[in-house]
Amino acid sequence: MHRYVGRFNTPERVLHWFVAASFFTLLLSGLGLYSRLFHNVFTFFGGGEGAILVHKYAGLIFFFSSLLLFANHAKDVCSFDDADREWFRVLGGYLSKDPDHIDSGKFNAGQKVFGIFMGIATLLLGITGVINWWPQSFPRAIVQLSLLLHGLLFVIFVMLMVVHVYLTTVGNPGTLEGMLYGNVRKIWAKRHHPKWYKEIEGK
Amino acid sequence: MAQLRTGFLVDTSRCIGCRSCQVACKEWNRLDADKTTQQGTFENPRDLTPMLYNRIEFIEKADDKGNVTWRFVNERCLHCGDAGCMKVCPSPGALYRTKDGIVGFDKEKCIACKYCVSACPFDVPRYGADDKVSKCHLCLDRIGAGMVPACAKACPTQTLQFGGRDALIAKAKGAGKTLYGEKSLAGLGVLYALEGKPEEYGLPPDPSIPTSIFLWKDVVAPLGILGFWGSIAAVVLHYVTFGSRPLEENDEGKGGDAHA
Repeated sequence: MHRYVGRFNTPERVLHWFVAASFFTLLLSGLGLYSRLFHNVFTFFGGGEGAILVHKYAGLIFFFSSLLLFANHAKDVCSFDDADREWFRVLGGYLSKDPDHIDSGKFNAGQKVFGIFMGIATLLLGITGVINWWPQSFPRAIVQLSLLLHGLLFVIFVMLMVVHVYLTTVGNPGTLEGMLYGNVRKIWAKRHHPKWYKEIEGK
Repeated sequence: MAQLRTGFLVDTSRCIGCRSCQVACKEWNRLDADKTTQQGTFENPRDLTPMLYNRIEFIEKADDKGNVTWRFVNERCLHCGDAGCMKVCPSPGALYRTKDGIVGFDKEKCIACKYCVSACPFDVPRYGADDKVSKCHLCLDRIGAGMVPACAKACPTQTLQFGGRDALIAKAKGAGKTLYGEKSLAGLGVLYALEGKPEEYGLPPDPSIPTSIFLWKDVVAPLGILGFWGSIAAVVLHYVTFGSRPLEENDEGKGGDAHA
């Protein structure tokens, strides 16, 4: 194990996959509600009413697990330092073939922004979701706005998810191991999160 | 929909507020009575309900001399040419348009999302204990059998007139009536002949599909699909141009060179 360092402990990983599983359940069950183009996807849930039922309860699981995940990492995610400013300046080095030399901590600036977005979006999707769930209990203008916002956040969410999946798999080999087994290779930690690596090795 | 569109004209000047239309609708459509309370007005019930597809609104107005006049407005689904409810309904066939332009509903296909409640420019669709959509369907079962809608049949003053939309419009215009709904929302199936401003009858002066609903279904939804494929394209493009950042186990130094 000396080639590896611990990155995410077991509760963190379980929580992450709870969020991921409920997200994809929400995606599938909500697709038919998003547009009639995806009406056939309702079939997975035995029809539209089944899909709505699944969507509501998967939404509850997602809401709480995602907020918990955010709270869990809030301390790391919500503070920015000079390395993060450098990350923004060179866009994480993703638009060049040179490896980045950014002295990122446990999370780099992109991951921090992603994490903060996830926290806010979860909160808003939850609130608008409840309003859409009981539309007759709220003023019409609020419900109309809520339907729009729920759809808009969903779109941004899915686009970021594509990027998230890419960057954590084929984009940056070695990253997924942290979320699957909890440990990442030292060389990975040194390259992607030098400051964090120094901190944990220094202990 | 080039073929003759069915129309319905509510000539408010003729209405005497007898509510025969309410009763006839309930009888034909077998809708239960609603329990209501006396609230100091003859208007009853005070709103459309899942069991009340049309009703007469009683609008009281006093002039300078203290003379009170009443306006009676038949409130119901207006069968918009561009219907907000149909735009948002995710279940094909739950809300549908007949060949002659009527917006019907099928409770069997309704999935109880209630989007139509929010999308209607006139706040018409209602959900009852069965959690299914209900609203005026212009008695399309009667129309299919060559009869007129129950409300129009029962109306003793010809306030409610049923027929070809163009013919009704021509007739009303010929009689010098001011029409409401001829052009808005691709033409309303149910038109009003008014003797004042629409606001005085509780009608929106310029009805349209709510802005948020338009943005949601006509802007965000289509652009979102584009956005999804756009982000797929972006990551693929990134992969084939800048490439991934491989981890060479022996590469303790600069890194990335092996990939260059």
